[in-house]
Amino acid sequence: MAKLKVLEVSDTERPKVDTTMSEVYFKRFTFNQLVEHWVMIGSFMLLVVTGMPVKFPDAWWSPVIINLVGGFEMRTQIHHAAGITMVLLGVYHVTYHLFIDKESLLERKVWPTLKDAKDFWQTILFYFGKAEHPKYGRYSWKEKFDYWGAFWGMVMLCVTGLVMMFPFVAMDYIPYAYVHLSTIVHTDEALLATLFIFIVHWWNVHYSPEVFPMSKAWLTGNLSEEQMKHEHPLEYEEVMKQMQKGEDTPPKA
Amino acid sequence: MLFINRSLCSLLISKYALFLIIVFFLSVSAVSAQQDVSCYHCHTQVVTQFRNNVHYQMGFNCADCHGGKEEPNASVISADVMSGNFIGKPSRENITGICSKCHVQEAKDYKQSIHWEQIQKGHPEAATCTDCHGIHEIRAISDPKSSSNHQNSPATCAKCHANKELMSAWYYGIKTDRFDTYKESFHWKALRNGYNIVATCADCHNNHITKSHTDPTSSTYPANLPKTCGKAGCHPGVRFDAEVALGFVHDKESLHTGELVFNKTNLDPKLKTYYLGPFDLAYWIALFFKILTTGVIGVFAGMVVLDFLSRFKLQKRW
Repeated sequence: MAKLKVLEVSDTERPKVDTTMSEVYFKRFTFNQLVEHWVMIGSFMLLVVTGMPVKFPDAWWSPVIINLVGGFEMRTQIHHAAGITMVLLGVYHVTYHLFIDKESLLERKVWPTLKDAKDFWQTILFYFGKAEHPKYGRYSWKEKFDYWGAFWGMVMLCVTGLVMMFPFVAMDYIPYAYVHLSTIVHTDEALLATLFIFIVHWWNVHYSPEVFPMSKAWLTGNLSEEQMKHEHPLEYEEVMKQMQKGEDTPPKA
Repeated sequence: MLFINRSLCSLLISKYALFLIIVFFLSVSAVSAQQDVSCYHCHTQVVTQFRNNVHYQMGFNCADCHGGKEEPNASVISADVMSGNFIGKPSRENITGICSKCHVQEAKDYKQSIHWEQIQKGHPEAATCTDCHGIHEIRAISDPKSSSNHQNSPATCAKCHANKELMSAWYYGIKTDRFDTYKESFHWKALRNGYNIVATCADCHNNHITKSHTDPTSSTYPANLPKTCGKAGCHPGVRFDAEVALGFVHDKESLHTGELVFNKTNLDPKLKTYYLGPFDLAYWIALFFKILTTGVIGVFAGMVVLDFLSRFKLQKRW
């Protein structure tokens, strides 16, 4: 209880800078990234809805969903179309960040670092009340895991999906064993991705008390100063330092 | 005048009415007399089933299969029906003989099958015409209610082929997981959801000429698989090496039994590697994903729960 009181006091005695400044937004995602994410959401949802009834053909909801999307043939066509969309998205993403984005590859903040492992451990300790909440930079370990999980998953699903789409072409190059393995890999990987997105990712960006009903970053590409301070304090400090260095340059927005 | 007119009218009307009533009863009796196969009076249930039979709709009646004197208009009890060449309930060995009277080609095909071979060897429980097509309720195979309809074919075959006692009764070693393993294939997953243009049992194993896959003339004999899979309407135009097509539709056995296929199949080692991978990859990869999915989701869902619980602790978060 005492702790809560302290929090309240510190909240009311905010530094003056915050209140006098007009509202500042921090650029989180570029428009390019937003569109990529939207296409991803659309194709992913279609793939899940049309794919899961085949992963679980004996479930009661399987025929219900298939009738809803317009029969099995339609299901297959939607699944293929959405799959191809996602593959193209992946190809675009890799091409863009390899060849068009000028930032040096090694300096990207998306690579996993030792700090992420430490942060992961600190997060667990924090949950048990044994440590401070870790301070994240541009990307937290959760976000990096999301990103690389999706990256790995898309590669796996694309390759196995193409094998399943053209099994007899594939058999010209690989043994039958690998063709039928791709059905296991494809569906199990898809199930993992679906569960991860629906449970973990949606908790982080939808249900978590900080952001409920949702973090608007996926629509606007911006974070508020409050969110920025909380979720990416290290990046916030860095941005603020840069701002102080050159007072004339407007905030990164 | 009016009075006369009225009586004339009513007289005419009553005449017409009477005429109509007579016509109605005549037609009813004529129709019911035609439907009256006198066996109905005792074998009510059987005849009721028979009325769904495609043969009934074509004008056949009991005597066409069971023999006896044909008397469609017979009275309530007609002993005459059971006279002449009446055979009663045919034995399982003789059923084919009855059907072959009309279905010559089908019977000829069936007599090459392993089912007929087993019946000849003294195993009358092997499948005969009625096991797949129904006994009295034989429907057209295009009828979705028919047991030999494309959609129902797997369930019909599974009646016997998933029955452990029956399968080991005379010939030890017939696998009873054929339907379960078929369920792993895309064919079944699509069929289950109303997509009809996929293979069921009869498409690969043949409906009448069903033979063991060890028989060189069988459609499922390894060397014949390219032709079977490449049938028009299935996978035509695909380059089928004999090797390539020699896959297992009934694979993933290991996923059901938990046993390694590698240890069970009697394939020669080279082919084994080709079809199952260097070791039983399916088994290990399925296991890998089980652990991976449970692990990742378990850890992260656990974190979500911890995150949720940590909100109740009144500690400084940021």
